[in-house]
Amino acid sequence: MERNPDKFWNPYLAGVALGLVLLAAYLVMGMGLGASGGSLRMGVAAVSTVAPEAVARTPPYLRAMQSGHANWLVYEIFGVLLGGLVAAYTSGRLRAEVLKGPRIGTGSRLALALAGGLLMGVAARIGRGCTSGQALSGGALLSVGAWAFMHTVFGGGYAMAWLVRKEWR
Amino acid sequence: MTFPILPAEQAGLLVAVVVGFGFGFVLERAGFGRAQKLAAQFYGTDMTVFKVMFSAIVTAMLGMVLASGLRLADFKTVADHVTSSTLLGPMIIGGFLLGAGFVVSGYCPGTSFVAAASGKVDGVMTVLGVMAGQLLWAGLEWREPFKTFHDWGDRGNLYLWELLHLPPRAGPVIVSLAVTAAAVGCFLAAERLEKALAAKADAAARATPAGRPGRLVFAGLSAAAVLGIVALALPTGTRAGARETVQLSQLDLARRVFSEPWDVRVVDVRDLKACAAKRIPGSECVPLQELGKLRLADAAAGRDLVIVAAGELSEVPREAAAYPGRVYLLRGGFQGWEAFALAPPAPPPAGAPASEVELYRLRAGIQSAMTGMKAAPPPPPPTAAPAAPRKAGGGCSG
Repeated sequence: MERNPDKFWNPYLAGVALGLVLLAAYLVMGMGLGASGGSLRMGVAAVSTVAPEAVARTPPYLRAMQSGHANWLVYEIFGVLLGGLVAAYTSGRLRAEVLKGPRIGTGSRLALALAGGLLMGVAARIGRGCTSGQALSGGALLSVGAWAFMHTVFGGGYAMAWLVRKEWR
Repeated sequence: MTFPILPAEQAGLLVAVVVGFGFGFVLERAGFGRAQKLAAQFYGTDMTVFKVMFSAIVTAMLGMVLASGLRLADFKTVADHVTSSTLLGPMIIGGFLLGAGFVVSGYCPGTSFVAAASGKVDGVMTVLGVMAGQLLWAGLEWREPFKTFHDWGDRGNLYLWELLHLPPRAGPVIVSLAVTAAAVGCFLAAERLEKALAAKADAAARATPAGRPGRLVFAGLSAAAVLGIVALALPTGTRAGARETVQLSQLDLARRVFSEPWDVRVVDVRDLKACAAKRIPGSECVPLQELGKLRLADAAAGRDLVIVAAGELSEVPREAAAYPGRVYLLRGGFQGWEAFALAPPAPPPAGAPASEVELYRLRAGIQSAMTGMKAAPPPPPPTAAPAAPRKAGGGCSG
């Protein structure tokens, strides 16, 4: 196989492939794809090893611990990591590095990555899902909330883009 | 209705890993493990995020439309399984914050896992950030004053076709066609925008033009949308309004009630007293004048609806005609059922064909269930020439 790190799939064919994966999840499991729900489940597992009593007195943590759906999402994330690893290795993109624009230092980039992640973690909890679980999985099934969410995700991105332009350009 | 399959837990977890593998692999190959490429979406130079996401949405949506058209699955039943309820306030604000976090971190929660798996340290930081953010809000959302905001304006499962007041069966198809048309239009606009901004794009995030494969996808998606409309026009006897009356024989109903009760919904529309005294096993007692209270137009179409009246009905009641799935009328009504189910069947003569013996078993089973008889009717005589050894056990009629 040709290994060119700058060669990607045609976006429309990649989209169709992603859509077929999503369709399989619908038809076999009656579930969509997700990422943030699995994060919460893993986070709660981490908290429970340090402070089990904190989990016991927080109902949303308890629910995440006991939910079969969250459990499914964690296994799905294992699959995502594995799929990402295999795809990155076979395309020559598997490399320890920090991705950023030319005008920003490594430390600042990592701090912004963490801060952006924190913001998305909160936002995905408020919006009942992230770009995968809400916008993609709900959008394809024509849920009104998912479509509202999807539009505001792009809105939020464009609104913020100018402020962080130094990070990328 | 065959899907969703809903496998048992352990098989389900295996499916989770397989589905996740496909998800991660495609995201990586689309370029979603590279922060600059994702962020370029918000500077207009590379619309890959938009293109991949919308072609995935349209593909899965049209797949569901076609699966519903072929009666393999019901769009709304699957949607009720998958989607969360709609809370416009929190979703609009959550979406806005998520978009802002997206351009700051360079990833969305799903793609940050892919970046982490391909060795990107910034991806790992985003994964940790998302985890912390989830824990933070999950720790606050159930306490006031956060709770009021978090649960603000819960509308339950709400779909675009319901918002537009379209009928439940045709609605998803019509909206899907509109979404497909809009998506293809936006794809063409995105291609032009990228071309216009090509000079400004940096090397790490250059757009892949649609090219021939892209045009094939546009054509394929449009064709699938048209097929969905064609499937809608197929004669299924389920069009609300001009619904033809489809009668179900007593024997067919009995077979279904006993062998696949999860696939039928039997509604007995006689008056409450008569229904309470004696009815078909598993049926609901809902007098005709109260049928509207079942809100059949909005019910999931997973099961076939069977209407049982006192005598034979000439047409489907108006409230039931709005049901999105199949609707049957029981031939002869309850009177016909009684004559069929309460009269003891005559045992078949020795040497009767297997089908006749089977029919007798079934009828005898129905009769004993309906009359509450302790002793089952006499077993059928042994078949003349037992061709092949059959497994023992014939249910309650044996």
